[in-house]
Amino acid sequence: MKTFEIKDLNLWYGDFHALKDIDMDIRNNKVSAFIGPSGCGKSTFLRVLNRMNDLIDGTKITGQVLFNGQEIYAPESDVVTLRTKVGMVFQKPNPFPMSVYDNVAYGLRVQGIKNKAVLNDTVEDSLKKAALWEEVKDRLSDNALQLSGGQQQRLCIARAIALSPEVILMDEPTSALDPIATGKIEELMESLKKDYTIAIVTLSMQQAARISDYTAFFLLGDLIEMGPTREVFHKPNDKRTEDYITGRFG
Amino acid sequence: MTRKRRIYDGILNALTYLSSGIAVIILVMVLQFVFVRGWSGVNFDLLSKPYWSGNNTIEFPQFKTGAFDRPDHLGDDIAFSEKLGIGLSDGLDAYKEHQVVVEYLDPESPLHHGVVSTAGVDLGKELGLSEGSNIVNLMLKDTDDKIVNVGAQRKSTAEETVAAMDNISEMRKIYFKTEGGGINGSLKATLYLIGLSLVIALPIGIAAAIYLNEYAKANRVTNAMRSSIELLSGVPSIIFGLMGVSVLFPITQLMGIHTVSIILGALTMAVVLLPLIIRQTEESLKVVPIDLRYASLSLGATQTQTIFKVILPSALPGILTATLLSISRIIGESAALIYTMGTFIADRPRLDQGATTLAVQIWSLMSGEQPNFELSSTISIIILLIVLALNVSVKLISYRINKKWSVS
Repeated sequence: MKTFEIKDLNLWYGDFHALKDIDMDIRNNKVSAFIGPSGCGKSTFLRVLNRMNDLIDGTKITGQVLFNGQEIYAPESDVVTLRTKVGMVFQKPNPFPMSVYDNVAYGLRVQGIKNKAVLNDTVEDSLKKAALWEEVKDRLSDNALQLSGGQQQRLCIARAIALSPEVILMDEPTSALDPIATGKIEELMESLKKDYTIAIVTLSMQQAARISDYTAFFLLGDLIEMGPTREVFHKPNDKRTEDYITGRFG
Repeated sequence: MTRKRRIYDGILNALTYLSSGIAVIILVMVLQFVFVRGWSGVNFDLLSKPYWSGNNTIEFPQFKTGAFDRPDHLGDDIAFSEKLGIGLSDGLDAYKEHQVVVEYLDPESPLHHGVVSTAGVDLGKELGLSEGSNIVNLMLKDTDDKIVNVGAQRKSTAEETVAAMDNISEMRKIYFKTEGGGINGSLKATLYLIGLSLVIALPIGIAAAIYLNEYAKANRVTNAMRSSIELLSGVPSIIFGLMGVSVLFPITQLMGIHTVSIILGALTMAVVLLPLIIRQTEESLKVVPIDLRYASLSLGATQTQTIFKVILPSALPGILTATLLSISRIIGESAALIYTMGTFIADRPRLDQGATTLAVQIWSLMSGEQPNFELSSTISIIILLIVLALNVSVKLISYRINKKWSVS
């Protein structure tokens, strides 16, 4: 099953051609990792999937992006609904300056859900799935900014999970965290895979190798190759992939 | 070369030291001037006293002398009448005129039970002498059945007045002035003006800032709007006063107000405050991390929900800062208010009538034939203290903002 099918995708920031003729399938309930040097379009590509690039002035997109067979850039497509189905976790933990509870309940509340019981259940369930419940169950009314960086990032994951999305996009989710917090997030991704499709941008090739099922290698806006992680890392089809993975440039 | 450079550096350094020294000296001079002149007048009574002293003449239909003991706490300079239970002292009013001041009045004193004897609506109303009043003229019949007049008008000292009182057989009339020279009316008017101006200016200013920062496209129209707001904050406030009289006055006329009024002053001040509030709010909206916007939008919130649920609450400390700065501005404003609220010091200010704020009361006190330096300086001290408190609050709030965002 393919959650996303991307065909012939081109993206410009003003005159800058950031993504060139990308064709890619993202499979459901798998972890797909996007690797490549900085500034090569990985994060831009990730933001195509929940239309966060819409927020940047001067962005132009051509091609097809199908989510469950629906074109997400079609005029009748509702970006708000799309974003409830395609959640996102950012590079730097960015909890709202509100309580832990309010952070997780935010997504539901903006959908108009006010039922206390539903909110309570969802908050608890999401925090459990994000492996944070045991640490914060007594601190639900504390300001989220008081949590540690790693806890904040798991809170952001819980916040995304609360909307029961199909896909979770992660943009270098561990780059601002220490190795222990990173380890916890990686474990978490392993368990989330059962319920969600995950796409992750990472600068760490070890991380991509550890956690992903598929790996895509981007270079200067081109998708060089994508395949099962083992194949990409052990016998890449392209010389440039091999050079990057073996550290000959980057 | 080295020597030349050293001399050159020395001159420049000396210049900077000198300049900062001059700035500090000027500040100290201003403070010293105000404090030396006005500090003696600073007390809590000032805040509750009216400005205008009342002129009252009272008679005593049932008059009985008593026998009172001099209370121990009265100072040596206070003369005490044992028959009437009253302590008097010599004093000077704001214009250095002699006064006979009531310092103490026994609770049982017969002087509490007078009635107004001047023709008018108050005729026959009960009114007693009160502490702090100045006895201008006191007419009594002494034990020899002779009419005696004493008081400030007759240049009697407190001693002489008390001596006459202790020789009394019948009290005729007391003409006294209640204590004035307070700032109660101006204080109230200032509070009314602050409240009303903020009620008008804050919602409009915040909404405009949200529009400019969140919705407006970066184009010429927006830029023109921004520059005109910038320009507005540089316009001298007397021009706002003129504008208030000519443009806003018809609006208050529609409300049935045909004179200068606090409402007119508040409308004018709202215009003065708008650029300040818009700029400050916009600044505080700008510093809300973009990550929070992305987080909210990525959770399926609309732009409007993002603004009102995440960005605006995060900008609240900044908006509070804008509010405090606005209050400072209102307290310090005078030119725009002289035209729109008038210069008559009202003891009981009303929204639909003219009144003075503290700053304008200073103007009124100083613009008369006999400038009242003492009270003006005292009011200045009070204004300075309020502004100091506001500035400290602003500092505390900005400190908290920085702390809040540095955690994440």
